[in-house]
Amino acid sequence: MVHTTVVGSYPRIGDTPEEQILRRGIARLDKGEIDEAALKSLEREVVQAVLREQNEAGIEVVTDGQISWYDSQSHLAGKLASVEINGLARYFDTNTYYRQPVVRGPVSWKAPILLDEWTFAQSHSKSPVKAVLTGPVTLASLALDKHYHSKKALALDLAAAVAEEVDALVRAGATQVQIDEPILTRHPEDLALVAETLERIRARKGKSDLILFTYFGDVARILPDLIDAPADLVGLDLVQGAGTWSALAKHGSEKPLILGLIDARNTKEEESAGVAKKVQELGGSIDLKASYLSPSNGLEFLPRDRARRKLRILRTVADEVGVAG
Amino acid sequence: MKALLTTSVGSFPKPEYLSRARTKSSRGDLSKEALRELEEKATAEWIQFQEDIGIDILVDGEQYRGDMATYFAENIEGTEISGLVRSYGNRYYKKPIITDELRLRGPISVDWFKFAQAHTDRPVKGMITGPYTMMDWSFDEYYGSRADACLAFAKLLHEEARALEAAGAKVVQVDEPALSTRFDELPLLVKAVGIVTKGLQANTVLHTCYGNYSDIFAYFNKLPVDQLDLEMSNSGLDLLDRFKREPLKKEIAFGVIDVHSHVIEPEALIRERIEKALTIFSPTQLFIDPDCGLKTRSLEEAQAKLRNMVAATRAVRTAHGWT
Repeated sequence: MVHTTVVGSYPRIGDTPEEQILRRGIARLDKGEIDEAALKSLEREVVQAVLREQNEAGIEVVTDGQISWYDSQSHLAGKLASVEINGLARYFDTNTYYRQPVVRGPVSWKAPILLDEWTFAQSHSKSPVKAVLTGPVTLASLALDKHYHSKKALALDLAAAVAEEVDALVRAGATQVQIDEPILTRHPEDLALVAETLERIRARKGKSDLILFTYFGDVARILPDLIDAPADLVGLDLVQGAGTWSALAKHGSEKPLILGLIDARNTKEEESAGVAKKVQELGGSIDLKASYLSPSNGLEFLPRDRARRKLRILRTVADEVGVAG
Repeated sequence: MKALLTTSVGSFPKPEYLSRARTKSSRGDLSKEALRELEEKATAEWIQFQEDIGIDILVDGEQYRGDMATYFAENIEGTEISGLVRSYGNRYYKKPIITDELRLRGPISVDWFKFAQAHTDRPVKGMITGPYTMMDWSFDEYYGSRADACLAFAKLLHEEARALEAAGAKVVQVDEPALSTRFDELPLLVKAVGIVTKGLQANTVLHTCYGNYSDIFAYFNKLPVDQLDLEMSNSGLDLLDRFKREPLKKEIAFGVIDVHSHVIEPEALIRERIEKALTIFSPTQLFIDPDCGLKTRSLEEAQAKLRNMVAATRAVRTAHGWT
């Protein structure tokens, strides 16, 4: 049977009052009514709820939902040496915004960033919790570089920092580590640089499985080389990147994949039998038993109730693939 | 000479009594009629404020709107409103979900336009959330094509624009903050906005903000409107050099107030920004306004920013002898 996983983020709030504790907590922190420790405790309550929802949906490899992340860039980059955080910038083609990191000097890792979050999540999850990190090339591309004046030089230093973080996570017990490089859907020519940065990260991955994930578009033009990148698994967005389906059918993959085939940016619900059939059609060209099905990207672009429904559709698709396969 | 006319982009902060009333109304503890009364009171107060400080082209302040896309969607058949999704940090909004063919129930914003216009002799803008932004900010469970959904919105919003014009709007603004989302879709945006503005006699304006203007610059002169309303101060006035090389063949409403900063820009700084703009644009081509809607600022901040904007504009006019 094919496995199931998620990509990373999960909606932090829902529409019921009890699903809005974090929103209210941050507002109270801003007003000085609670302190950081109290907010952290609320975040952890939400992480537990998010783990429970993934567990109830039958997802095998889960994440902490990136509940404490302000956004995909500043949460990591903001804790590195020589990085300041600036104003808001649009995040790819989404109607969401990230605080832009500004690089003022040589970037380096100072202390673990995600370790506490991951450790807490894993200690409250029956399923393995995947550690998810924004990739160095995406970080370098979306930052404002006032020091290196070279995307490559910045990305390589960021890779060294990400590698330190990966080392800390793996030592703590992470068995899957995912590096997100959505920039490849916009700049496929960056693949060689992504591969170079992954080499540095791979050196610190220990026995964990290293995953490279791309989303927000297709990677059809670079698919064979992408699959050859130095990672144990490769994740693909097959919804916004629907163009990748045919390339995948044509080239196949000896490496296990994560097939992002449930639309994580639209509420429209997939008809599970149709999706399962498309997956089965790939069966001859990829190793489905070693691969995973997932949403197309992080689920935080959906309302919470819709995200839950998408997870159940994902589980149903996986079951249908398994039964027929 | 009509030089450096002042205006606003659209939204103003809601007074405390209205915010409280909206919360009560959403819980079902306040009637629609009672809420409407307070929305009218707040709108009238904002009209009076704009008149008092001497703004030339007024807005109704959008006191009756929650989100700019859901407000329109709530009045269009074939849509539902989603649960909350994150915009950034701790800010969330609800998105329209297109569940069926889009159909107009009737005029959407005309009633509020009439209310606001009845309170002043100065022109009030008619304000429409543009078809591209409506599409981009909606989930689509019906059309299955971004272009089809966008053009369906465009046809309905053209009817809305005509209804605003028929109600007396001399200025119709189409808000397209999503303009810079996907560069490959700019031709679609031009086509859709063209459908909305087709045949209008009113002065037409397109407002956008927070995008990478350098990539969309080539489209500015193609946009089927008379005036572009751009955020300029938040982007550090970087665009001026480009406008020098590639002149804009339209009017420009030039944002001189950063709407995401608590800092009240001093009059001298705003004057400096206007003078910089005047090195590129003629005084009749150039309109002065904030970067974007002011709804995220406190009422006091918004009013202080607007006061300084008008004072700075007056000072520049006087210095050039354009009074």
